[in-house]
Amino acid sequence: MNRAWMASLVSCVALAAGAVVAMGVALSGSGCEKPSGGTAGSGAGGEKAAGKRYKIGVSVPAADHGWTAGVGWWAKRAMELNPHVEWVYATATGPSDQIGDLDDMLTKGIDGLVILATESAPLTPAAKKVKSQGVFIVNVDRGFVEPGIADVFLEGDNKAFGRTSARFVADRMRKEGRTNLVILTGIPSTVDTDRVTAGREVFAQYPEIRILDQQPAMWNRQRGLEVMQNLLTKHEKIDAVWAQDDDIMMGAIQAVKEAGREKEMWMVGGAGMKEAVKMVMDRDPMVPANITYPPSMIAAGIQMAAGLVSSGRPGEVLRYMPKHLMIDVELITPENAKDYYFPESVY
Amino acid sequence: MGDDTGQPAGVGASSASSASSAPSKAGGAGGAGGAARAGGGLARWFGRHGALGPGLALAVLCVVLAVISPDFRKPENPLNILNQNAFVGLVAVGMTFVIIAGGIDLSVGSMVALLGGLSVYASNAAASSWGLGPWASVGVGSVVAVAGGAVAGSLNGALVVWGRVAPFIATLGTLAIFRSVIMTMADGGEIRSGVPAYAEVGAGTHGIPLPITSSRGSALFLTYPSVAFLVCAALGQAVLSYSVFGRRVLSVGDNATAARYAGVKVGRVTFAVYALAGLLCGVAAFLLSSRMASVASASAGKLYELDAIAAVVIGGTAMRGGRGSVAGTVVGVLMLGVITNALNLLGAPALLQDFFKGVIIIAAVLAQRAKA
Repeated sequence: MNRAWMASLVSCVALAAGAVVAMGVALSGSGCEKPSGGTAGSGAGGEKAAGKRYKIGVSVPAADHGWTAGVGWWAKRAMELNPHVEWVYATATGPSDQIGDLDDMLTKGIDGLVILATESAPLTPAAKKVKSQGVFIVNVDRGFVEPGIADVFLEGDNKAFGRTSARFVADRMRKEGRTNLVILTGIPSTVDTDRVTAGREVFAQYPEIRILDQQPAMWNRQRGLEVMQNLLTKHEKIDAVWAQDDDIMMGAIQAVKEAGREKEMWMVGGAGMKEAVKMVMDRDPMVPANITYPPSMIAAGIQMAAGLVSSGRPGEVLRYMPKHLMIDVELITPENAKDYYFPESVY
Repeated sequence: MGDDTGQPAGVGASSASSASSAPSKAGGAGGAGGAARAGGGLARWFGRHGALGPGLALAVLCVVLAVISPDFRKPENPLNILNQNAFVGLVAVGMTFVIIAGGIDLSVGSMVALLGGLSVYASNAAASSWGLGPWASVGVGSVVAVAGGAVAGSLNGALVVWGRVAPFIATLGTLAIFRSVIMTMADGGEIRSGVPAYAEVGAGTHGIPLPITSSRGSALFLTYPSVAFLVCAALGQAVLSYSVFGRRVLSVGDNATAARYAGVKVGRVTFAVYALAGLLCGVAAFLLSSRMASVASASAGKLYELDAIAAVVIGGTAMRGGRGSVAGTVVGVLMLGVITNALNLLGAPALLQDFFKGVIIIAAVLAQRAKA
């Protein structure tokens, strides 16, 4: 029995060692964290500065699709650029996980918090508790359901995301005399609903546009490919595809190409994945435009928090900071695409 | 993992009709009338393997769908279904062996992501750093995936057999570990292939040319992932039915103590089924990463374990082990695939998909019990 335990222990250790080596290779020395919500410092090495070094928590959703992976990537870059702050970074797989992360951060004695909530409602009371401990909060992308909790709210505008890209698609379809539209949606959530509802309101103003089908493709390339393959079988003529994410769009493009129907339609995805932006930049006829919803917004929030504490008196600075900043979505066209192309990003 | 079911381990010896891969023609317009006698033999064979009910159910489902949906009848559609489900199908073939041997492997989905990622990394490195040609690089990638699969599966097997960790727990652990490793390596993002040839193996436009054309007149192929699925399933059924190893797997799952008294090295057999499952995950991982020309470290293979287990159960394999068939699993895989496809084609609220999946899984288990 002891022997058996040793055997399993040895294999576990071997595996862990392998994992560590792999991490070392992949990350080449930057702070690595377990995606399941552990915390790890980042930025400058463990040395503590003599004076007061502020501690700021960064709580974001774990990478479960391309965009959230981009959030993690940008967050790390922003933290590295601000070594004067002691960062406490955690990724959460869901709301309950994230609430736990906030508790851990309070235990560690954070002075500030940058948070991209996994879901708004369940995180509101947890954030309120953080706030009540005198911690300032920079809230990014998804807001809380009660006012006054976030000191600064940097909001991503999902309704504008849906509206702007739908407007582009509808206008272009009208100009080219196209009528048959397919909609591919993301993971059912408030974000997805906001985008799709706003988009459909736009399409409703174009009576000639026929929405042939609306199917969820889960913000996922493989689902995008499979669902599009099925829809290509079903519909003789598709003029355009409005996809709610670039991962979905890339899969759908593959399905269309394999069916040899790339001359028949074009599509607009969204969120500015680097491949998609590249296609716009290269004037790929299948991808006339894209829409920004930059995962780098988390970096903007982190930068803001770092700026707040660099003064040494964040409370004073907050008195003149705007409480609510809305990040506009922008249409990416071949003309401006190079401004939105980040080849080194993971997304 | 031997619990005493008290049933005789007599499923192995099977007779003439060697049509182990035949049930895989899903949907399709023709074929109903032609081969009544062969159908009878097939039915008997399926009946012996506990897969007759599911096989009939799949046939009925396909006929009904073909009648109500003209799109379902299009020649490209069954090929799409087969191709879309080949990856989880390969995984499910391995899962069948594990479950028949009385175990379970929850790590398969994460393993697919890990192995696919390693395969892409290896082939990229082979092409860019080692200066190998495109096809040699693809070869390196495929070897890494398959060999890595055998290693990862062996790790599961070692934990279960020599570590004496319950399979559910051991593979739950490796599920988390495999996913975590590949996500860390990829920063949670996508791992993209830089070798154009890599994407050709799994592409929908490559494969064995078929003498039929799509509804729009373009050429159709039996894609390589589909071929791999069918071949592995046929081989798997042959091994299970006709080889000594297959009979040992059945006897270990049926009654491990009895098998041990009968001279079967239970530990070795159990270890081997996990290694085999890992190897098949490697095949699936290579083909899936080729199909997508990339691996999404967070989502590739996600929940494949549930689909694979569901397919195995729908196919009439007993969850407690000792009885089952790969042919049944193929039916299960296609059943799940047909439902997903049909809901897309019929424009049903696609979020209801899992509802139907759930109903069919439960129905399959109830049917199993009714017979037992």
